[in-house]
Amino acid sequence: TAGNKIFHFGACRVSTSMTEIRAGFTAIKANIQARDPIRSLSILSYPHSLHKVKSSDRCCITHHLFNFYVDKVFKHCRTEDSFVNRKISSIANSFLSVRRKLGQCHEQNQCMCGQESTEKFKQILANYEGLNVTSAAMKSLGELDILLDWME
Amino acid sequence: EDALLPAPQNITILSTNMKHFLTWSPVIVQGETVRYSVEFQGEYEREYANESWIPISECSLITGTVCNITEDISATVAYNLRVRADVGAQRSEWGTLKGLFNRITTSLTPPLMKVIADGYHLLVELEDMGPAFQFRVLYWKKGQERRVLQKVVKEVRSVVHLDTMEAGADYCVKAQTYVEAINRSSSFSQTQCVRAHGDKSMWL
Repeated sequence: TAGNKIFHFGACRVSTSMTEIRAGFTAIKANIQARDPIRSLSILSYPHSLHKVKSSDRCCITHHLFNFYVDKVFKHCRTEDSFVNRKISSIANSFLSVRRKLGQCHEQNQCMCGQESTEKFKQILANYEGLNVTSAAMKSLGELDILLDWME
Repeated sequence: EDALLPAPQNITILSTNMKHFLTWSPVIVQGETVRYSVEFQGEYEREYANESWIPISECSLITGTVCNITEDISATVAYNLRVRADVGAQRSEWGTLKGLFNRITTSLTPPLMKVIADGYHLLVELEDMGPAFQFRVLYWKKGQERRVLQKVVKEVRSVVHLDTMEAGADYCVKAQTYVEAINRSSSFSQTQCVRAHGDKSMWL
């Protein structure tokens, strides 16, 4: 349907309202990206794109990234625009719902972390911490479609 | 601003087929127009954003006592909701929904459907209930109730072709909705039966 999508990460199955997340992001993408002055840098794609991650590591890197957005990114993206804040809330609560399912897979050892995903995630954190927190959060939010495209 | 104005009471949610409405009892102030404002708080805001609240602009300073919160209840997590009243410079305390609301509790009604015999073709028209809805359609030839066939309709088109019928035979259909986001189904609709055109003897 135009609604949910089932992601298969090996034995880990995660049902996600991808359309709702994408609709929320599309509605604010231009606004958020306009707040990101440093267009030459990327948090998710530097130095290597997510597409380079081995399939066996996909579940772990996805789990890491959902934790990253929930724990570090969304809370620093509050704006003066009520509409933008509502859409960020919509995305954040959807991410929370998906993260819970990924966490369950992780607990059942269905979402193992290999060397590569650990290194990749360290790089993402280094990119993030190389900027001041608000710029880093806004840039990460503006790159959400990179994550969504890679997931799909 | 003193809080002489009473907070709105009887705050409830009416949720049917993934459409969610917040309602409350009006605050009565003789000769005055009372206005209301609504805010929501998802699980994320409670646990990661200092229990912050987010205003719903379409329901800021409204005079009605209903707010469509469907757009903001867009994840399958628990939400909190609150309403306050304003009259001139007076502002009430917040009235908060008793308990949290999760869209997983929405009530799902059977879909409206219309079964059509178009010559030998068995067709069904299904109500468009929005992108969150799929339909499970069961159909069978009358008298062969043990050979029920199924078609899952993921995106509503105007008409769905189910089968090619035998001349003169009766066919029956029923349908239910399925919402993947909350992994729940409605009950089945009433069964509808139609007869295929033509004469049964034609097939001998």
